[in-house]
Formats: sequence, structure tokens, C-alpha cells
Amino acid sequence: MKIIYALGGAFLSLGLFFFAGCEGGGSSSKSDAPTFAYVTNGIDPFWDLCAAGVRIAEKEFGVNCEVLMPPKGVVDQKRMMEAMIAKGIDGVAVSPIDADNQTPFLNEVGRNTILITQDADAPKSDRLVYIGTNNYKAGRALGKLVKSAIPEGGEVMIFVGRLEQLNARQRRQGVIDELLGRSMQDLDKVKFDSVDSVNLTSEGSKYVIVDTRTDNFDKAKAKSNAEDSMTKYKNLKCMVGLFAYNPPACIDAIKEANKLGAIKVCGFDEQDALLQAIVEGHAHGTISQQPWEYGYESIKMLKSIYEGKQPENKYFELPFLVVDQSNVESFWAKKKEMAELGKQD
Amino acid sequence: MKKNILGIFILLVAIFVITAIINPKFLNAYNMQNLIKWSSLYAVMSLGVAFVIITGGIDLSIGSVVGLVAVVLSICLKLEGMDPWSAIGIALILSLLIGLLHGILITKAKVQPFVVTLCGLLVYRSMGRWFTDNQSIGPMPMEEDAGYKNLEQIQHLDFVFSGKIAIGSFNLPTPAIFLLVLSIAAAIFLRRTIWGRYLFALGSNEDGTRYSGINTDRMKILAYVLCSFFAGMAGILFAFELDSVQPAQTGEFYELYAIAAAVLGGCSLRGGEGSVLGVVIAAAVIRLIYNSINMVGISTHLEFGILGLVILLGVIGDELIKKTVNRKQAVQTS
Repeated sequence: MKIIYALGGAFLSLGLFFFAGCEGGGSSSKSDAPTFAYVTNGIDPFWDLCAAGVRIAEKEFGVNCEVLMPPKGVVDQKRMMEAMIAKGIDGVAVSPIDADNQTPFLNEVGRNTILITQDADAPKSDRLVYIGTNNYKAGRALGKLVKSAIPEGGEVMIFVGRLEQLNARQRRQGVIDELLGRSMQDLDKVKFDSVDSVNLTSEGSKYVIVDTRTDNFDKAKAKSNAEDSMTKYKNLKCMVGLFAYNPPACIDAIKEANKLGAIKVCGFDEQDALLQAIVEGHAHGTISQQPWEYGYESIKMLKSIYEGKQPENKYFELPFLVVDQSNVESFWAKKKEMAELGKQD
Repeated sequence: MKKNILGIFILLVAIFVITAIINPKFLNAYNMQNLIKWSSLYAVMSLGVAFVIITGGIDLSIGSVVGLVAVVLSICLKLEGMDPWSAIGIALILSLLIGLLHGILITKAKVQPFVVTLCGLLVYRSMGRWFTDNQSIGPMPMEEDAGYKNLEQIQHLDFVFSGKIAIGSFNLPTPAIFLLVLSIAAAIFLRRTIWGRYLFALGSNEDGTRYSGINTDRMKILAYVLCSFFAGMAGILFAFELDSVQPAQTGEFYELYAIAAAVLGGCSLRGGEGSVLGVVIAAAVIRLIYNSINMVGISTHLEFGILGLVILLGVIGDELIKKTVNRKQAVQTS
């Protein structure tokens, strides 16, 4: 008898969990409205802000949206999109993790529903449009920030989650090209310096990019990479963090080494710790992609395609914003406002 | 059905029915095909670790073996332009050698399995990253790759390892056939051969087994070789399924899924117990939970939480069933 109670209790709680999840996890469903999926490439506060934009668009356009954040790379991203297709989703906006090799699968998704890419592109796939920042241009803007942070030149170190992603490579190359005074490259024909190049410099440039370290989204590793770089390069003048969590990790490491001010930090994205450091003068500036725009524009685009309006171009470029001490407070207020607006009812 | 896998089977059916009631689209053919495919991929790996757990050992390196084998296979096929079947052979031999190394270190150098395989986890992951400069790679060559000349054969392999066979209107994913063959072989090995019985005996009482004149070292080595071989097989299946191998991520933490499936499927971490069918059903339960979470629309952040709870409830339920059965048997014999 005990077994029956135990198993019954187990299944009941499981069922409740499912029903609870149904009501709490999703949005208030509008039965006739189309449903769109917004698929990220991982879990990060950056994607929470994108999700805020999704929720704003969801209300504004009267559609249903699901935000999916794959915890473990390609395999989770694939199964989540498969489940969406099985559910009969009306459109998917995805940030592909490995664009080239995922192309056959993305095409399969494209055959079943409206497919657009956002944040990172899969140019060889049949996606209808790519919504994103020109990461190469943004990288160059970041390079300019580094130049203004250390106008006298010096050693620069780059930190990034992983370089398999095209957007990460483009950002990095933008920074390198800007610092070494190279000419502007076209986004679709960017030539990349080798991932393990060290001490990159050029004649006439005051800057040396000593190394690029990756951490595979491991925040602890990101910090230890920053610490190790200070140990290894005694004349390091600037740390450049290409993913959202990299600049705060660099700032932490610099703070603990009592080198605030001696080593400048320039970054990407807009984590609060970085914005706070910009306010306090411990970081020089950042490039914001205004993540909420990703979520908002993706849903807007999916709705428009769903209604039969084909996009004019394959590429919809979102503007980025350079944030430094002059505009950090107004930007931060905007970020808080957007996050608040995007919260679930 | 045996009592010790009845609980897990009921769990499978319960989650299945609940999900189908909440979202009838769960039952569509496309979703069922995906469910079978993912369950098969993870079950292959879980079967491997079951051999080791039955002997009372553990293998923490499975995920890294999956990753390394997928990397090596992709390099051989795509960058080296090697004969595709030879590349498969190399990938499998690599996995066998890894298992052999684990077995020898555990039995001859007397290093604890936990330590050996934990170090393996770190070393193989690092090797995969180093071989590729941590760049994504896939088994399918592109025009500029040396392997492009073998494209047709590689596409054939792709069909073998990640294709779909039409059975009426249903497309059966080929990994399911691999699972079927491997699980039948594993079940025959464990239940119908003397070597299989030795593995159970070794897990129940190692000293007793050794004093019975059985070469326990050889049996342990065999268990680790089989475990890595199954992981290698899973690595090949994953490489073709995803077409994308990320040296730092492919297979990461898969050992935990495999061990969870083995335990949920009736293997005791103390050794001496385990069933092939139980492990296969448990692997399916884990993939079913993931699928159900998406189909039902539960926040993805709750995935691990729900999975953890279900495994815990499953194991508790299983223990209760066993206790009751034992009590009834005791009453009957007294």
C-alpha cells in the first residue's frame, strides 16, 4: 500500500509541477494570435534584457512568445527548436551557436516555420533575414574606445567567452584592425588573425595586442584569465572584454590586484558592474548593442513576415551605442526602465 | 516485466500521458521521432556506464570521450580527407584504447576509478580543444576541405548514423537501430554469458569472486573498455546528428546524464545490480522530461530542477518497491 501512496504522491507532484509550469512559465496565451519562439545561444543577463524586448513586443503586437535559453550549447539549442516545430510554432528567431555546421538543421527549421537569425547570423542558411549589430564595426568602435583610454599606446589583452562564434571573431578583429591602424574590412569578407596570435602589432601603431584568452562562459575562468594576464604581462595597459561578463571579471581582478586606474577596461554590453565601474571611473567605456532592441525587432520582424510582408534585405542592422562617462547615467536609467517594462505580468 | 524496472516504466508512461494531455501536439510523428532519436543517443552512452557501475566502479570521463571521439572523427573526415570507414575505425579504436588505459590504471596501478576517470575527463577535453584550437568542427566537409573528395561516402555515413528510415509514414531515426543492436548485445552479454555473470559477481563481492578463481582484473578492464567503446559510439552518433562538434562543449556533463540513467534504471552504485532494459527506459525518461518541459512550456530554467526531482522520486519509488517485494518474499518463505 505504501508503494501506491509513494508513487501516487510522486506522480501527483510531478503533474502539479507541470501544470504549475504551464501557467507560470508561459505568457498569458492569446489563442488566435501567432506564437513565436526567441531562442538564445546560452544563459546570460544579456539574454534577459533581450527577453525584456520580446515581452514588450509581445504586448505591443498582441502575439504569444516563448523565450528559450539553451543551457548546454548546440545540442540543447537543437532539441529546443525541434520541440518548437513539433508544437507548430509560427516563427523562430535564433542566435545560432555554430552557424556553418548548423546550416542543414537551420534549413530544416526554415522549411517548417518562419526562420530568422538574430545576434549571430548563419549566412549560408535559408533564414529570411538576420537582425544584428555589425559586430566588426562595433569592434572597431571598441578599438576607438581603447585608443581614447590609453592614447599613449601600450599592451592590450582581449578576453572573450569563445571564439567559435562569428560575432566574437568579428568583434575581436574589429578591435585588432582599429588598434593596428588597418583599413576597414567588409563585414562578409573579414579576414581574421589566427586565434592564438600573440604580440600582434604593426609599424606605426602604438598598440600591441599581447594575447586573446577564452573561458567558455566559465565566469570563474574569466576572472582567473584576467588575473593571470596581470601576472604574465607586467606592462599591461588595457583589458578588453568582448562578452558581457568579461569586463566585470577584469574589473574584479584589477581591483583585487590594487591596479584600478593603472589598467584600463573597455568592454562590450552593459552589465551593471561594468556600468558602475564606468560611473566610478574604473572602466573607460563599453559598446552596447541595446539588447532589448534584439528581442523587440525580432518579434516585430517575425510578425511582419507572418503577415506576408517579406523583408527588404537579408540583413537588418541594429545600431550600437558607445557608452562612456558622458552618457552612462542616462543609459543605465534606460536599461532599468526597459528591464522593468519587459517584466512578466 | 521485472519488479525493479516496473517503477521507472510507470514513470515513463505517467510523464508521457501527462504531457500528451497538456499538449496533444506532443504526440505528433515529428516529435516522437525526435524523442526516439535523443533517447537513443543518450541511452547508448548510459548502457556503457552501466557495465562499469555493475562492477562497482564509476566512469566520469564519458562526456569527454564523446567529445574527443567526435573531434577526432571530424578531423579525420573533414580536414585529413581520410577514407570515411577508416575514420570511423580510428574513432572506435581510440575509444577502446581509452577504456583499456582506464582499466589498466585501475587494476594494475591501483588508482581509484574516480581519480583515473576524473583525470581522463580533464585530459580528453583538453586534447579535443588543443587538436582544433578550440574551433568548432563538423564531420561534413565543405568545398575547401580535404575531405570534400569523399563527400558522397560521408553523406552515406551521415545517413547510416543520423538518417531516418521510412516505415510507412513514420521515419525511424537510425540511432534507434544502433541502440537496439547494442542493447540486445549488452543484454545477451550480461545475462547469457559467463563473462556477464562474472561482472555481476565482481560488483557484489570482489574478494569472493577473486577467491573463486576468476580473474577480476581482466573483468574490470573489460568493463571499462566496453564503457569507453559505447561512449565512442555515442560520440560518432552525436557528431553526425549535430553536424557540429564544439571541442569545449560537445559531451560536457554527459557522464552525469549517463550515470543518472544507469542509477534510475536500476543499477546500484554499490555494484552487482543492473538491467539493460531499465537503463534504456531511464535514458528515455530523462529525454522525455526535457521534451515535455518544452512541449508544456515550462521555463527552461526549471529543467535541471525538474530532472533532479524526477530522478530522486524515481529512485525512492524503486527502493520502496524493492523493500516491499523483499518483505513479501520473506513472509512467503517463513
